[in-house]
Amino acid sequence: MKVKHISVLLIPALMSVAAFGQGLDFSGRSGLPAGIDISGAYYPLPGQDSGLITASGSLVEYGGIPMNEAGRLYALAWSAARIQGRQHQCMGYVVPYTYNAPGNFRFWEERDPYTQRLLSIQSYWQISEGLRTIWMDDRPHPPAFAQHTWAGFSTGKYEGNMLSVYTTHLKRGWIRANGIPQSDEATVSDHFIRHGDRITYFSVVNDPVYLAEPFSRAYTMLRNVKEPDGWLYACDDGEQILGRPEDLVESYDWGKHPFLREFADKHQLPLLGLLGGPETTHPEFVAKLKDPAAMETEAKALLAPAPGAPHASRAVDPNPRDGEIHVLPVQGNVYMLVGDGGNIAVQVGEQGVFVVNTGAGQLSDKVIAAIGKLSKNPIQFIANTNPSPELTGGNVKLRAAGMDPSLMGSFFSGQFADAGKTATVISHLNTQIHLTDAKVLGADGIPSDTFVHDRRRKFHNGEAVEMFYQPNAVTDGDSIVHFRRSDVLVTGDIFNTTSYPAIDVKNGGSIQGEIDALNYILNRTIYEHDEEGGTLIIPAHGRLCDEWEVAEYRDMLVIIRDRVQKLIKNGATEQQVKTARVTADYDERFGSNSGAWTTDVFVAAVYNSLKNPPKPAQ
Amino acid sequence: MSYKLTLTRRILLLTAVVIFGMTSALAQAPPAGAPPAGGGGRGGRGPQAPRTAKAVALFDPTGYWNAVVTEDWRYRMVTPMKGDYGGIQLNPEGRKIADAWDPAKDEAAGEQCKSYGAANIMRMPGRIHITWQDDQTLKLDADAGSQTRMLNFEASQAPGGDWQGVSRATWELVPAGRGVAPVGSLRIVTTKMKPGYLRRNGVPYSASAILTEYFDRINEPNGDSYLVVTTTVEDPTYLGQPYLTASHFKKQSNAAGWNPSSCAAK
Repeated sequence: MKVKHISVLLIPALMSVAAFGQGLDFSGRSGLPAGIDISGAYYPLPGQDSGLITASGSLVEYGGIPMNEAGRLYALAWSAARIQGRQHQCMGYVVPYTYNAPGNFRFWEERDPYTQRLLSIQSYWQISEGLRTIWMDDRPHPPAFAQHTWAGFSTGKYEGNMLSVYTTHLKRGWIRANGIPQSDEATVSDHFIRHGDRITYFSVVNDPVYLAEPFSRAYTMLRNVKEPDGWLYACDDGEQILGRPEDLVESYDWGKHPFLREFADKHQLPLLGLLGGPETTHPEFVAKLKDPAAMETEAKALLAPAPGAPHASRAVDPNPRDGEIHVLPVQGNVYMLVGDGGNIAVQVGEQGVFVVNTGAGQLSDKVIAAIGKLSKNPIQFIANTNPSPELTGGNVKLRAAGMDPSLMGSFFSGQFADAGKTATVISHLNTQIHLTDAKVLGADGIPSDTFVHDRRRKFHNGEAVEMFYQPNAVTDGDSIVHFRRSDVLVTGDIFNTTSYPAIDVKNGGSIQGEIDALNYILNRTIYEHDEEGGTLIIPAHGRLCDEWEVAEYRDMLVIIRDRVQKLIKNGATEQQVKTARVTADYDERFGSNSGAWTTDVFVAAVYNSLKNPPKPAQ
Repeated sequence: MSYKLTLTRRILLLTAVVIFGMTSALAQAPPAGAPPAGGGGRGGRGPQAPRTAKAVALFDPTGYWNAVVTEDWRYRMVTPMKGDYGGIQLNPEGRKIADAWDPAKDEAAGEQCKSYGAANIMRMPGRIHITWQDDQTLKLDADAGSQTRMLNFEASQAPGGDWQGVSRATWELVPAGRGVAPVGSLRIVTTKMKPGYLRRNGVPYSASAILTEYFDRINEPNGDSYLVVTTTVEDPTYLGQPYLTASHFKKQSNAAGWNPSSCAAK
């Protein structure tokens, strides 16, 4: 027994001694990465950038941020009153800004319990209760049409003495919460270097929409000696101002910012420097400080859009355009099919398939094949949200590929020989009329089951499916579709992430109806946590979203509407409104100078629908 | 019984072998924080010249680096107002000095380089040029104020007392895996500095201040390369707690923009 005890004690001891002597490392043999350990609780260094921690910073304090014109104009238009809006009250924070938060951070490892392979490093931050997963298993990043989150999608690797992380799929957030935006097109490269109980955090933001150069920054976190007790961030939105209109989004007119010089005057700083831009980060800027008069002249020229044509979007096209149909599980029973023009929503279950929109019709055979893999049941219903060719082009083939068992043997069979032999296509009556007038689809592609009231409802595949009519939005025939149990909303062209809304003024569309429709959507959505998750949104074009992106889109359109409206009141012509570049802070994200739907055409639609509002849709 | 004795002997023998091997391995290992002993190769047992700091460099810090002023912009790009020492925990004596800042007086006294000392020079907007002065010394030139720092990997008997003080450099190793190249930071501890300013508006540090810096090089996927400098200033004379900052520089391929200037008191 005694010898057995010795062996039990000695063998592990010998193994550990031997391992210590050789520097325990199985890299290259077990797949265990060898890297620094940043596990633990940290807090941000108090001191550096005093006064600029998360959710602080003064208005017009952008010095050292390499913003481009769009970023600067966005910030100059931003009013702090905007955070009274319901969707802004519990906004989350994005990387890397969140690591400048005043709360606590925690890092820990997630390992496979059987192999101890490092799967991910988790990062939690108290402010907005953010949780970031840094995948360490070499998995690929999701496609561009996948959902974005506050934390984004991160993959990491050890490089020398640091953990290096690359992040995509971020929501539109802040570079600094005084109006300096970080777009949803931004990617972040960040690095954690441990020096004892201190992490040097270095991040590089690449944002084609709002930055002229990468925004690099070094920062420090300190390790907590004892576990802090503050980890939560209780936030619940509400109506902060009773009766606040839903289509109110506060903003400042360019050149009329009421607090433009407040911070500059208080600290005796040059306005030119505080307006940011890449030159303010370079040592050469020091030379400019010697000529205050020239700086003032230069600063004044930066307060409004530069003359010229609108800028085109610098966003990545989320549509793969590879001739294939890509299937993205959304939630519940609903999937999003991407690849054939507009997005297609597919609901499956024990009954027939319910499809919302059918794409451009170029890849309909592949669409039908993809749906066939999701359900063995036929396509039973097709809903058209609006008459766009990008959303209805597949009507003929998808309708023909389906069938509607609810009609077979019903009284419809006596009236129509083909009753139930194809899928039933549903839309608002005005969409049917517009499709008929367009004479593109032929009779087989025109919706046969129409409605004229505000709401069409079905209970299908175990959940309520509702269509809500949205008068005078993109056209006078728009609807949204809500799969209630799955909690997925399909918006049609009322909302997309790739362009300004294609408001068809001739067919009854209007900027005000569009804003009203977006607010209608926002009245049906709920977030799971801090403006993220919950009700998921399938746009006509672009990536899967939640209510945050809809709110951002609504805000943008309200601000543009208000700018155009003011110009109209001052007697501006359509051309003068275009020349004023009223969309300059959003063009790098949504603008276009080519194709049918250019920024100028959009501005004209806004102008004309405000100047001559459509009659209420019938 | 004989089986147990045999097993005991085996265990003891294994213990002896492992301990001998480990002792031998540790005896050959470099001390923590020091460059690994070099030369030799397999079977080489003869006297070896110690490998130099240049030879065992963990990364290449040399070249021209351009300060990217995105941290503490309003304190670094512009001389702040007197009394604006936000973010620095000055003690009463330190505040007294800062509140009495008089750049004209500094200028008149020939002390216009007080904010170009080692404790603040890396925060100045400007470029730095790092070269190997010799195998054991890095030379760091800053165009702001035309200052030069000598970062010695060997103990120096220099008296110091000037703006840049005496800097001792080490390659601080992070244990890496077998077959993995050593990784780590360049650590620099600077003492014996002439009293100067942590900010250009007269926020003081004293002759007893200790400056500890870590230099790390970060290579971005797009080819950009950054030198990140993590700094701690400890000065019980004027600071209530250590002053921690982080700054960074972007690598340049040439000397473009190199603009040696003289010190300015304001």
